[in-house]
Amino acid sequence: MKEIEISLTVNNKPYKLSVPANITLLDVLREKLKLTGTKEGCGKGECGACTVMFNGRSANSCLILAPQADGAEVITIEGLGNLENMHPIQEAFVEEGAIQCGFCTPGMEMSSFYLLTKNPNPTEEEIREGISGNLCRCTGYMKIIKAIEKASQKLNEKH
Amino acid sequence: MKEFNYLRADTLSEALEMLEEFQGNVKVLAAGTDLVVRLKGDMVKEENILDISRIKELKGIFTENGIIHILPLTTHTEILEYPDMKTAAQILYDACKSVGSPQIRNRGTLGGNVANASPAGDTIPALFVQEAKLKLKSKSGERVISVEDFFTGPGRTVLKPDELLVDIYFPAMSDDEVGFFKKLGQRNALAISVVSVAAKLKKSTEPNKFDKAFVAFGSVAPTVIRGNRVENALMDSVVDSREKIRYIAQLAWREVSPISDVRASLKYRQDMSINLLYEGLLELYKNGWNRRS
Repeated sequence: MKEIEISLTVNNKPYKLSVPANITLLDVLREKLKLTGTKEGCGKGECGACTVMFNGRSANSCLILAPQADGAEVITIEGLGNLENMHPIQEAFVEEGAIQCGFCTPGMEMSSFYLLTKNPNPTEEEIREGISGNLCRCTGYMKIIKAIEKASQKLNEKH
Repeated sequence: MKEFNYLRADTLSEALEMLEEFQGNVKVLAAGTDLVVRLKGDMVKEENILDISRIKELKGIFTENGIIHILPLTTHTEILEYPDMKTAAQILYDACKSVGSPQIRNRGTLGGNVANASPAGDTIPALFVQEAKLKLKSKSGERVISVEDFFTGPGRTVLKPDELLVDIYFPAMSDDEVGFFKKLGQRNALAISVVSVAAKLKKSTEPNKFDKAFVAFGSVAPTVIRGNRVENALMDSVVDSREKIRYIAQLAWREVSPISDVRASLKYRQDMSINLLYEGLLELYKNGWNRRS
């Protein structure tokens, strides 16, 4: 299939790529850029495992065609933080044991990031709404909610 | 994913040009929250995909002489964040809130939800009762139709191959108008509606009476439908008791013609159409037919 030139910024790094039109942003991140932190769950926008920040808002990267990401600013879980320099959201997930198999965690943390950017002091109800696009089959969500509450405190203390 | 020829229009005139050129063998791509799923499932027959998502002329919200215009590439989140939308278009606001998930609302557009023409499209019953009009444009001209006249069946509309939906507009709600949008899904987030009901009532000067009533149902017929019997009953009665509301809501049974599918049985959809309408009307009645604060 004919390839299309796209330029995009991922985790503040600019990229120029040649991609077929029938792959998704998720494929670009995982296969072309080897940023495998972002996961593919359902591939239909229902599980949220592929959640990234796309032009400042959370989005399912499995539903964005690669050419639609031309010119976009993307932040993935790798851009949030790493082992040496963890983001307060990542710290809180570890501290609260909000991770079991870990497959939903990157998407869950990206949704938490979007939520806390928009609403630094969410209620439990607002946290539930904020992660309503992310499925977790292990934890039963309670520890994730606790982790987001803790992350919100950490972020507020920092400022 | 199936192979296709990707086309991108950066302006409205480019898009209309390409629609004319590819006459029908082209599928319009807005955000893709639905279309990309269908491309992956090989459910799109067109060979050309026309990406309109960058057309600035088709994005934004503005009010002009009491009419709210929501341009088709405006996302559900942008509608929810727009100042005053909660009062000026409370029914559509509530419908947008019930769409998908935060991620889907951040990407999915109002125009996409309308043009997709799903009988379960959440914003459509709301647009019916908000008396929305749609502007359709092609290279050779433009026309305005009522949202009710747009749909001809599941996924089917009166849109001609060279036409594009370019504006969605409706009057801002006045102080004497109240309404609701209610949706029943199998769960709260990311659930396609089993039944949805939207209603708008224009209060009369006499208590418990209405000069105008608009009621629409989603997911209970091949397209979203108006409930004329229910509307007439609301306008003909003094709606001053729980019993009268129950009686009026039961008329919904005769309006709807649902099917049984994976989400619900025919009978359940019929019963839930009545119950959702009853619940919505009762909440307003208990609040003295005033808007909830």
